[in-house]
Amino acid sequence: MTTKRIECPPVLDQETGRGLLDEAKRQLLAEGEELLIDFAKTQHMDARGGAWLVAMADHARAKHAAFRWEGQAGKVADFVSLIEPGLRAELQNRRAPEGFLERAGGTGIKVFAEAREMLGLVVDAVYWTIIGPIEGRGFRWGLWADELYEMGVRAVRINFLMNFLLGLTIAMMSAAQLRTFGLGIYVANLVMIGFAREMAAVMTAVVVSARTGAAIAAELATMTVQEEIDALRGMGLNVTQFLVAPKLLALLIAMPCLTAIGMLSGIAGGMVWGTIALEIRADAWLNQTLGAATIDDISQGMFKSLAFAVVIVLIGCHNGLRVTGGSRGVGLMTTRAVVMDIFAIIVIDMLFAVLFYYVLE
Amino acid sequence: MDTAAEHIIEVSNLVTHYGETPVLSDVSFAVARGEVFVIIGGSGCGKTTLLKHMTGLLEPTSGSVKHCGTDIAHMDEDELAKVQRTLGIAFQSGGLFNSMSVGENVALPLREYGNADEDLIQAIVRLKLSLVGLGAAGDLMPGELSGGMRKRAGLARAIALDPPVIYFDEPSAGLDPIMAAGLDDLIVNLNRLLGITFIIVTHELDSIRTIAHRILMLDQGRAVFLGTLDEAERSTVPRVKQFFDRRADEYMAQRGAKAG
Repeated sequence: MTTKRIECPPVLDQETGRGLLDEAKRQLLAEGEELLIDFAKTQHMDARGGAWLVAMADHARAKHAAFRWEGQAGKVADFVSLIEPGLRAELQNRRAPEGFLERAGGTGIKVFAEAREMLGLVVDAVYWTIIGPIEGRGFRWGLWADELYEMGVRAVRINFLMNFLLGLTIAMMSAAQLRTFGLGIYVANLVMIGFAREMAAVMTAVVVSARTGAAIAAELATMTVQEEIDALRGMGLNVTQFLVAPKLLALLIAMPCLTAIGMLSGIAGGMVWGTIALEIRADAWLNQTLGAATIDDISQGMFKSLAFAVVIVLIGCHNGLRVTGGSRGVGLMTTRAVVMDIFAIIVIDMLFAVLFYYVLE
Repeated sequence: MDTAAEHIIEVSNLVTHYGETPVLSDVSFAVARGEVFVIIGGSGCGKTTLLKHMTGLLEPTSGSVKHCGTDIAHMDEDELAKVQRTLGIAFQSGGLFNSMSVGENVALPLREYGNADEDLIQAIVRLKLSLVGLGAAGDLMPGELSGGMRKRAGLARAIALDPPVIYFDEPSAGLDPIMAAGLDDLIVNLNRLLGITFIIVTHELDSIRTIAHRILMLDQGRAVFLGTLDEAERSTVPRVKQFFDRRADEYMAQRGAKAG
């Protein structure tokens, strides 16, 4: 075996260590050879020097060469034996990069597993919200009332403001077009039908998913991380019954109410623009609005809001409960819940559009 | 002592995985009624995982966990809940519900299953909290407590229903020596006076010497020792000897080499 010897300088620190590694690299180690560090002259070494030593050991290992040292004495010997595990340890095997099929398969398995989890949650939620209470297994009315206040009552102001501004914006944009034909009054129809069928439900769902959806995910994720979920289950209490069902029923009631409020405030927003900018009398605008939509239009928005409520609660709970990895996981899962919420809202809205405009017409 | 009826808990051939990584391999032991059973081992050797399997919080890959003769390892949720009501679990970080005051936390299991009126519940809560030295903390929120106080409040909640078995994850970790000794005394007294069986995960030597009747040692997911405290002190099993001598070794280096 060929031994390539490197002499260590009297002081092994950040600077001399770097030089030592460069020298080791210049030796052009080959497989089966040996890199020998001679500490005979070394009086002093520090932690940074030790780090360079570890880097040299890694270099030798990468070249399939042996790494050895000799001649150390006194404090240097103690230091070297302290860092010996680092010199001996192999690098953790980095996982080999996966091929395309492997990745696709892995993703498929993950998606499938998550879908199964979600389905389980849906079944549990339906059971504990509807069937369980009917069977006399109890429903947490106290928690339900708290949730209803938190999700519903406390969201009224922000929901009013958002829908009002959206109504105002839509009136502004459409007035600019319709006014040129002298059809300014029809802005009232547009706002009414738009809000009854679409805008109020979607805008409210976005507000609620940002407020409540995120809150649910963050709450359940934190409870999971802090062993609260384990504690609950360890007491023999059902997590779905205790945490999911009250939230689901609360939002099922709060959501249509909020949507109705959203509808009224959107129309109010349109009316403000109509009376001030288009200079149409308020009672004429109101009459036009009331004549514009039928109960069918309004019930479309209401149906949708129920679907949104279910989706927001279940996505929030699902993501909250599958959190791993401490506080970072809580943030990730909260973000994920809101993104999934918004995506699901748009998809459901589209499906309802297909249903109402093509299937049922 | 060896008849099956005396064994309140029997774990046999327990194998578990976290994802694809094996955590416990073929762990078997039995806990007798009325003993303080201590599970020891280095960090990350699967102690807490074992505790979660014993309390039905995780489902094992294979093997069985029997509570008074019934296997809870692969049990239906409702049945499992019934068994879990007879256990008390005190978690490492307390596991208190942050949305409720400490008193409400202790009262929760009583309200759910306690079959007691409000006056009695309040009295029990006061008693249990004063047992763990938190008599005045009933109205505080968990967020206002220190780590050690939360742990003790968790124990108060675990003993609220006077369960025959209590699981305790790391009772004395993070407590000052005086408080840790107090908690040890409490465990010894509850065990002696009320006959409660304790299953405790810990690695505090002083605490083990005070409370343990029998000891199970885990090392890298395997049971390497099972026996009484005396046997453990005299054991020749290298890992056990090392543990009780509180001696470091070239173990770090070995682990490092193995990781490659």
